[in-house]
Amino acid sequence: MAMRELVTGGAACAVPGSSSSSNPLGALANALIGSSSKTQERLQEVPTSTPVTSEPNFYAETDNHLGALPGSEFDQSLLPPNAQGSEFLRGFRSADQNGFTDAWDEIQHQSDGPPFDHFYDRAAAPQLQPTLDGPPQRVLSSFLHSFVESSRSGIPFHPAALPLLGLSEGDKKCIRDRSSIMARHFFADQSEDFINAQVNTLLSSLEIDSDARGKGPLPGRFRELEDYWNESQSMRNTGPHPADGWVAEYGQHRAAHGDPDAWAHSFEQQHGANGWASEFEREQVLLTSGDQMRGGNISNLAAMEQTRMLAQTLAQNHDPKFQNSRFLQFVSKMSRGELIIDDNQVKPATLPASGDWASEYQQQYNNGPAWADEFARNELSRGPEGWADEFAAAQEQQGSVDDQWVNEFSKLHVGDWAEEFGQQISEGAFDTSGDSWANAYDEFLNEQVVAKVRSDASRGVYVFSDMNPYVGHPNPLKEGQELFRKGLLSEAVLALEAEVLKNPENSEGWRLLGIAHAENDDDQQAIAAMMRAHEAEPTNLEVLLSLGVSHTNELEQAAALKYLYGWLRHHPKYGTIAPPELSDSLYYADVARLFVEAARLSPEDADVHIVLGVLYNLSRQYDKAIESFQTALKLKPQDYSLWNKLGATQANSVQSADAILAYQRALDLKPNYVRAWANMGISYANQGMYEESVRYYVRALAMNPKADNAWQYLRISLSSASRNDMLEACDSRNLDVLQKEFPL
Amino acid sequence: MADSTQLKSDALLEQMKQHLSTDAGKAVVKKLGLVYQINIAPKKMGFDEVTYTVDLKKGEVTKGSYEGGKPDATFTFKDDDFVKVATGKMNPQIAFMRGLMKVKGSLSAAQKFTPDLFPKPSKM
Repeated sequence: MAMRELVTGGAACAVPGSSSSSNPLGALANALIGSSSKTQERLQEVPTSTPVTSEPNFYAETDNHLGALPGSEFDQSLLPPNAQGSEFLRGFRSADQNGFTDAWDEIQHQSDGPPFDHFYDRAAAPQLQPTLDGPPQRVLSSFLHSFVESSRSGIPFHPAALPLLGLSEGDKKCIRDRSSIMARHFFADQSEDFINAQVNTLLSSLEIDSDARGKGPLPGRFRELEDYWNESQSMRNTGPHPADGWVAEYGQHRAAHGDPDAWAHSFEQQHGANGWASEFEREQVLLTSGDQMRGGNISNLAAMEQTRMLAQTLAQNHDPKFQNSRFLQFVSKMSRGELIIDDNQVKPATLPASGDWASEYQQQYNNGPAWADEFARNELSRGPEGWADEFAAAQEQQGSVDDQWVNEFSKLHVGDWAEEFGQQISEGAFDTSGDSWANAYDEFLNEQVVAKVRSDASRGVYVFSDMNPYVGHPNPLKEGQELFRKGLLSEAVLALEAEVLKNPENSEGWRLLGIAHAENDDDQQAIAAMMRAHEAEPTNLEVLLSLGVSHTNELEQAAALKYLYGWLRHHPKYGTIAPPELSDSLYYADVARLFVEAARLSPEDADVHIVLGVLYNLSRQYDKAIESFQTALKLKPQDYSLWNKLGATQANSVQSADAILAYQRALDLKPNYVRAWANMGISYANQGMYEESVRYYVRALAMNPKADNAWQYLRISLSSASRNDMLEACDSRNLDVLQKEFPL
Repeated sequence: MADSTQLKSDALLEQMKQHLSTDAGKAVVKKLGLVYQINIAPKKMGFDEVTYTVDLKKGEVTKGSYEGGKPDATFTFKDDDFVKVATGKMNPQIAFMRGLMKVKGSLSAAQKFTPDLFPKPSKM
């Protein structure tokens, strides 16, 4: 039964640190549905609203039971008689009652022998009042069975004088609770008064105080089950059948997932607007559009329409009991429980503290497709049907629309973030000030991205832009190259992103994207893009050099060395002088020696001098690096990035005045070179000219508001320039204000 | 020479050392007049820590513990976290609250340890 897969949900549903069988929800599901293998067998014990014959061949009667189940006429009003959906619901209900019998059996103090014996007895000699003698447990068992049987013919239950049973408080409570629950189930077609009367009769016979019902925690393993049943049974007074309640809740649950505003909004309200929330909202919009799209794929439109009607009807139930249903609360409670358990541990798989929504969301997407598959398979084996198709199709589409986001989402180490959040809240580190929280959170998220990119072990994760007008462009690569040539870096980035989304194996698209990001002063994204380019084309020299440069900028010595050596290895001319065995254990000195040799071999090759210059930067031999770049510039005076490299080297060796001249040359050649503008700002700041530096940072940011480094440096310069009045504009990234205040 | 065990922080502190000889650097020395000792751990605090003394009285950055008495404040970082704080990616208060920065010594001296003391690395 596919529903069971959803509820038991596998590992993602499990409470961490426990097996899924001890997961309360799993227990609930097991008790409700029972093992699918015994379903057929158990169906026969299900009490039905039709009087049961007492023939000995009771167990042979299998065919009519499904049709005779209470509430099945309700399905038929919504679904055609042969619809799988109806079949599904009916099977579901019978399973409910089935598990219910399990629960009933359980209270009979198992020592009592096989719980079915009474059925055999009854088949042999039908009677409504069993003999009430023998040991207490036997008496109780018989008595309870007589209660059950009274339900079969719908007649009032007769009280009986019982011998002293010696029931403990726990036993009484157990019987009280279970009998009330079951009575409501058995007498589905009877009035509430009748049910209460039945239960009271039973309880008074057993000398159990019926008023104490529901007080205090319930004993036994199935407490959550009890809660749920209490809830669903009381709900049933307003609805046609308990299983409908379940389905309705499920439908409602789905509807809630499909409502982007409610979710994203409340999140935003709680935690302040930030990139994450808006991304989430956007994804929800995508989801919704996915929902709409699925309509097109369905062959059986009539069935779809009916299912939709069912879902709508159920979702429109505004009964507060529905809205506050125990089941929904239970799911939430569970995830909150995880928050506490995992507070001090990072468990990305379970997403501890990010609150209900994150784990629910993740769960939904981890499990959703699997469930849909299972469901589809089950349904298809019984013959294709719109219901299953719709589900499978919808899940598939959501999957594809969502894949990218989900990947990104999981790669961001939400677990870490969630943990951080939980910790900070518990520490009270961030009081009520939403701003500081949001900032710290933003910062932390950035760090996460940086950390991911920086850690050599894990690949840099490329983060795509939100709204990309170039998606769907007929030739985004050409467009991107054109934009790049014009110096419109941020636009070029978008077009190139569209290209690599379209052709993920296009090394040139990734390479140019990486270059655009580097020039846009975003090394993290540059590295991420270049890694993809490197993957697609491992021997591309420009890619290797770029990776070497970016890692040098990020102070990643080992990684930088690896790529720079790779450049030499794959160079058609110098590859021969690079022994392949060296790449296993790279030492700076060896690599530098090889490059010096290469430069000696062909002093006219600017590229060798460039790589050598980068290499000297790595070892902070700035004078040698400057020399190498100057040599290269004689050969390639129009290379703006080379001028910038020279400037950066000079700046890092505290020759800021010279650096500014070099940057100026770069900017003459490429006016939109964001990195050079930002470097200008750094050089002014390092000379203590903070107000000047602010103007350059603002200029850089006006061209690329995503240059996080520049924002950080701008903030430092503003404080150093005693321009605290502008910090707010900086923190809110209000470029209009900043540009007006600091024109260049 | 560079090898795989080199710290990112080495590059920043090297730059700091040179920076203190410039006018801007001298201004910092004049303004602060404090001595910081910084312990940097490659991976985990307490393991293989490298100690630097940033003497903002004399305007010097040296490897090793401060020899002229007791530093005004001593910080302990992991390599990556020091880089984040020194380049303004993470503010020192947050680093402290998260336990990513440990502080010993005078609190008022520690509070003057801000990213603007450090020169910013330029990018190629």
